[in-house]
Amino acid sequence: MVLRHGVVQTVKWIKENSLSLAFLVMFLLALGGQAVAGTLDLDDQQRAMGDQPISVWEYVTSSSFAVDVAENWQSEYLQFFLYIALTVWLVQKGSNESKAIEDAGAESDEEQRIGAHAAPDSPRWARASGPRLWLFGNSLGLVMGLIFLLSWAAQSVAGQAAYNSQRLADLRDPVTWSSYVTSPEFWNRSLQNWQSELLAVLSMVVLSIYLRQRGSPESKPVGAAHAATGVES
Amino acid sequence: MRIPLVAPASGVALVLALAGCAPDAAAPARAAERFHAELAADRGDAACALLAPKTADRLPDPGQSCADALRELKLGPGGAVTEVRVWGDNAQVRLAGDTLFLHRFGDGWRVRAAGCEPVRDLPYDCEVED
Repeated sequence: MVLRHGVVQTVKWIKENSLSLAFLVMFLLALGGQAVAGTLDLDDQQRAMGDQPISVWEYVTSSSFAVDVAENWQSEYLQFFLYIALTVWLVQKGSNESKAIEDAGAESDEEQRIGAHAAPDSPRWARASGPRLWLFGNSLGLVMGLIFLLSWAAQSVAGQAAYNSQRLADLRDPVTWSSYVTSPEFWNRSLQNWQSELLAVLSMVVLSIYLRQRGSPESKPVGAAHAATGVES
Repeated sequence: MRIPLVAPASGVALVLALAGCAPDAAAPARAAERFHAELAADRGDAACALLAPKTADRLPDPGQSCADALRELKLGPGGAVTEVRVWGDNAQVRLAGDTLFLHRFGDGWRVRAAGCEPVRDLPYDCEVED
């Protein structure tokens, strides 16, 4: 009976967290797949040069793997940071990704249920004032922005290592970090990721005006008007 | 001596930055010094054994041995190590009289190029290269 209760609780927990769990599993599988595919790719190049084969561990601790991972991470976090921050102030008529036109801005304390308007079940810092309330009230954007900056910094460090290793292989002098972060290679890596993320967000904002996905909170209800903005599904 | 340093910015950055950890700069320096010491002692075969396989293969003309090819090039004395730069499996060792490029193989560092002169931002012009 106790065992059955435990199973029921576990199943309930999995169901209640299924979105996070599904993405966590897919992320780990994709990262593992990248590690294996990247190893095989580099191994192929090494053999062509008459070099010894490399292990998965050697590859995942290499600057090549690190820069590839970091450059993708930074752009994803930049995308979400911009999205979180810009949707406070900017709106898109008809888009499910936008709030109602008249709600543009940080909104009132009452609408945000903070300070004197906090509910009994509101987070403790929502009842606070001053810097604590500001910090909590902007914590999502701040953390996303911080992870973006850290990932971008990691990209610059790992990218310099990978770039300099290649330069030495090409019988050229390595470059300093400051030269690297102003180099076409660094900006090419950054901008090629940014443009794709920005296009994806633009597509989401615009397509959600006219297209629907039944049952998804990322879409308006199927029967909602194209012009309806800030509709709760 | 310049060795890549990593300033991990976070747990994430720490993991990612493992790739840039400071490697052993002494090993490629020793290999470069040994290469020039063998040349100076006219031990061509021993010097050839320190070359990367592709470099050793490409160096001699048809019918010529690697040792003879090295002797013919008359590379100047290496001298003391002035700078070592290591990034990943590749290194550049500057001696007082030469600049060498090395690669780390399974059995240690080998010389890919020697007798190298800088050509602005283009690849070095090397007497011995792969």
